[in-house]
Amino acid sequence: MFAGPLEYFHNPIEVYFCMIVKSEKKKIGKMACNSATCQSGCYGDEHSVDEDDQKRPPVQEDGVSAGGGNFNCDGLCIKCKVNETIAATHPAVSEGGGDRGRFCADCFRSNLFGKFRFAVTSNAMISSSDNVLVAFSGGPSSRVALQFVHEMQQKAQKNFEASRDRLLPVFGVGVAYIDESTIYPVSSHDYDGAINQMKLIVASLAPPAKQFFVVPTQSIYSHDSTDGKDRLTELFGAVSDITGKEDLQVHLRMLSLQKVALENGYTKVVMGTCTSQIACHVLEATVKGQGFSLAADIQYVDARWKIPVVLPLRDCLSEELNMCCILDSLKTVEAFQRPRSGINGLISSFVKLLQEENPSRESTIVRTAGKLTPFCFNRIPEVGDNNGCLATKRRQKKYNLKPSESLPPESYCLICNNPLKKPNGTSSNHFHDGRASSEIYASTCSSCQYQILPKDPTLLENFFLLLPQSMTTLAKDSRDNHKLLRDQIQDCLLSDSDDGA
Amino acid sequence: MQLTLEFGGGLELLCDSVKIHNVNVEPQAEGKKLTMKHLLSWVRTNLIKERPEMFMKGDTVRPGVLVLVNDCDWELSGQLETVLEEKDAVVFISTLHGG
Amino acid sequence: MASEVVDATAAKPRGGRFCTVCNDRRPALKRPKTLEQICKECFYAVFEDEIHRVIVDNHLFKPGERIAIGASGGKDSTVLAYVLSELNIRHGYGLDLFLLSIDEGITGYRDDSLETVKRNEIQYGLPLKVVSYKELYGWTMDEIVKLIGLKNNCTFCGVFRRQALDRGAALLKVDKLVTGHNADDIAETVLLNILRGDIARLSRCTSITTGEDGPIPRCKPFKYTYEKEIVMYAYFKRLDYFSTECIYSPNAYRGFAREFIKDLERIRPRAILDIIKSGEDFRISTSTKMPEQGNCERCGYISSQKWCKACVLLEGLNRGLPKLGIGRTRGLNNESNKDMKETNGTKGLQSKQCGTLDF
Repeated sequence: MFAGPLEYFHNPIEVYFCMIVKSEKKKIGKMACNSATCQSGCYGDEHSVDEDDQKRPPVQEDGVSAGGGNFNCDGLCIKCKVNETIAATHPAVSEGGGDRGRFCADCFRSNLFGKFRFAVTSNAMISSSDNVLVAFSGGPSSRVALQFVHEMQQKAQKNFEASRDRLLPVFGVGVAYIDESTIYPVSSHDYDGAINQMKLIVASLAPPAKQFFVVPTQSIYSHDSTDGKDRLTELFGAVSDITGKEDLQVHLRMLSLQKVALENGYTKVVMGTCTSQIACHVLEATVKGQGFSLAADIQYVDARWKIPVVLPLRDCLSEELNMCCILDSLKTVEAFQRPRSGINGLISSFVKLLQEENPSRESTIVRTAGKLTPFCFNRIPEVGDNNGCLATKRRQKKYNLKPSESLPPESYCLICNNPLKKPNGTSSNHFHDGRASSEIYASTCSSCQYQILPKDPTLLENFFLLLPQSMTTLAKDSRDNHKLLRDQIQDCLLSDSDDGA
Repeated sequence: MQLTLEFGGGLELLCDSVKIHNVNVEPQAEGKKLTMKHLLSWVRTNLIKERPEMFMKGDTVRPGVLVLVNDCDWELSGQLETVLEEKDAVVFISTLHGG
Repeated sequence: MASEVVDATAAKPRGGRFCTVCNDRRPALKRPKTLEQICKECFYAVFEDEIHRVIVDNHLFKPGERIAIGASGGKDSTVLAYVLSELNIRHGYGLDLFLLSIDEGITGYRDDSLETVKRNEIQYGLPLKVVSYKELYGWTMDEIVKLIGLKNNCTFCGVFRRQALDRGAALLKVDKLVTGHNADDIAETVLLNILRGDIARLSRCTSITTGEDGPIPRCKPFKYTYEKEIVMYAYFKRLDYFSTECIYSPNAYRGFAREFIKDLERIRPRAILDIIKSGEDFRISTSTKMPEQGNCERCGYISSQKWCKACVLLEGLNRGLPKLGIGRTRGLNNESNKDMKETNGTKGLQSKQCGTLDF
């Protein structure tokens, strides 16, 4: 029953793995329904599970470290039972953990793509009228994201050509690389080589042709680029904490992406963020005291930005994505990859250690944080005002939200754009002197206050001037926008409670 | 150079359950000063009888082990660079044991 | 790993500065919370004063209450007993303080630490009550380990200790039980609950007072107190405490999480308080299913199941089936079993469960 085409079920791969999990709870672990997207009755069909059990050759205990060994007696994929496992066909592949001993390359790949597609469809990430911008760093995660978005676009293109009325347009795809060489300089030789490689990668993904943008971080400054370069350098020089520097870089990267998306008519930004990176982010945010806003960062959709950001690889592990790149010979660009430092570096190595000890640890971390209540902007905004209210209610049920929790936050951190727990009146009491500096202080979260803002209050105003204008006005804009939205939702909620009474 | 070393908070278990050691340690080279860095490697070689990883990590003490030089937190005296003098008292206390 | 915080004193010879509080005496330690360099006397003052503030701001006690201090003889509970009895007199809390100790029956470990608590009884003039596993359950840990081996004994000990503290507190007729959990412990618990996927405990573990709906509320006056400062305080004040690892879990304090917290503290001391802040701020929907509290049909102890965990374990022991209540994945007591699965066979996540007073 599982050999048929994938389209039989909503997500047959998930169904399949949920069923084998019963007999192989421990061994399959990672592939089982810990992906949070499994909504199928895992234990539904007892009979076929037993049958399955008898047919399947005994699977040996997880062989992550046993390089190249046979895991099934006959070395066949436990899903299709026809092809040889990856371990047999690609003995040199060392990543991918137990998967390489269980699946053939095709089944592994279709499982991975299935997770991607399920995330895209069940969260309405991409609609036919969209123009999506894929954020591409050159690393394996964003490489796979780009590949999968491309394949989806190709399918849509085929369907479009086959359909008689040609009513549904094909969504557009663009690619953006954020060039951070002003912050972390790279040799011009490496730089040119890497950019060329990226151009080739993007060019090879056609048709339909995709525009490729190389966006230097300093483009977030509206002035000419030399001035922007200086300001950017000065801004980073003013941040003393290495973790703070790194985090500021991430915030600016998002601003750059938003800018290029907005200026070129894109309607979604696709990030390649995967489970492993989210697991790290969960711990990073916790350690930095950002427990309140954490839920905002780790959902499939983050629409607090003007152009909504989506994470279709949220349920994929980095080792799966690495293996996908190897199996499909997807080229990655190493020149710009930097090891993480400070608190973030410590957490990366901690999570790596945990994952080695237990291959489902990263998924568990993400699942725990997934139980935190998301924010109202963690969904694709509805178009059209009429059904907006209804949809909000539906969503609330899904998230089990109390009405007060679904209200937009009152304010956002000036630097990291995270929701602030409450208007930051209390924490500004450090500074009684300048009005401007205490205002800046009050509109940032405690984490940014500590690791990004200068300790010396007299330097605060200058620091503020070094920030891109988009950042300093963003806070104000979104405050106004969300106040509007709040008022609208408030109306709905009022009528809602009237019904109940 | 005569020093008094004290191990507490469970660290004494790593050196035959003896808490106080009166030891004689010479600087690494003639004419050089004795630093905590050198003392730590000396302690590791000469006093720690088991599970040295409970005491050290890399070239310094394991995080969670407090060090006092003459009753003063070594974070105030430059940690590994702290220079020791004749008759100094160095205390190592683990915070890692149950409370 | 290089410290993130530039240490201004690194290059200077020792004793080159004065205490940042009194500006008079030589500093004796650097406070992890504030990075201030302060002398012993000022340290005692700020340390005690901060705990007093926590007690007052969180309304931990009411005048006239009877309070049991869970005393293991270790550093945290010893400092807690000392500081609480000082503050009680200094600020006129009007509390009746008691020491409450559990004798698990572990030769060479608990009998020694109980001697410490008995000395504390005299030193601080606080009446001591000892309840033993033997009298409550009919078994000592030595006997349990003889029967079940070293593998799951921490489960028994943890479950029994939690109940034993409540029963001891009931015998003393106290209004509240205070425990010595410090900021490092709580930060570690927050992390462990994230790593385990335990959202229910994640939402509870940062509360300063727990079990207010139960018979005896518990609170943690050291919630914001760094372990480093507790140990420094005990050392400078020459407090008499006991520090040996439990002989049945020699690896318990080697946990990943604990080591990670200490690594973090080294690069960014405030991370410990930030983790606690995160734990307090997590948006956890209160409509998330919480286990319904009932009473154990057998012993009457609060339990979300038909029988409380201690009774299930005890039944297994008495029937010669000690695995009862440990190995099962579904059924009676799901929540605690989840922890078991995690700790089984993995040295990693098991951390400081023993020798300390459990939640």
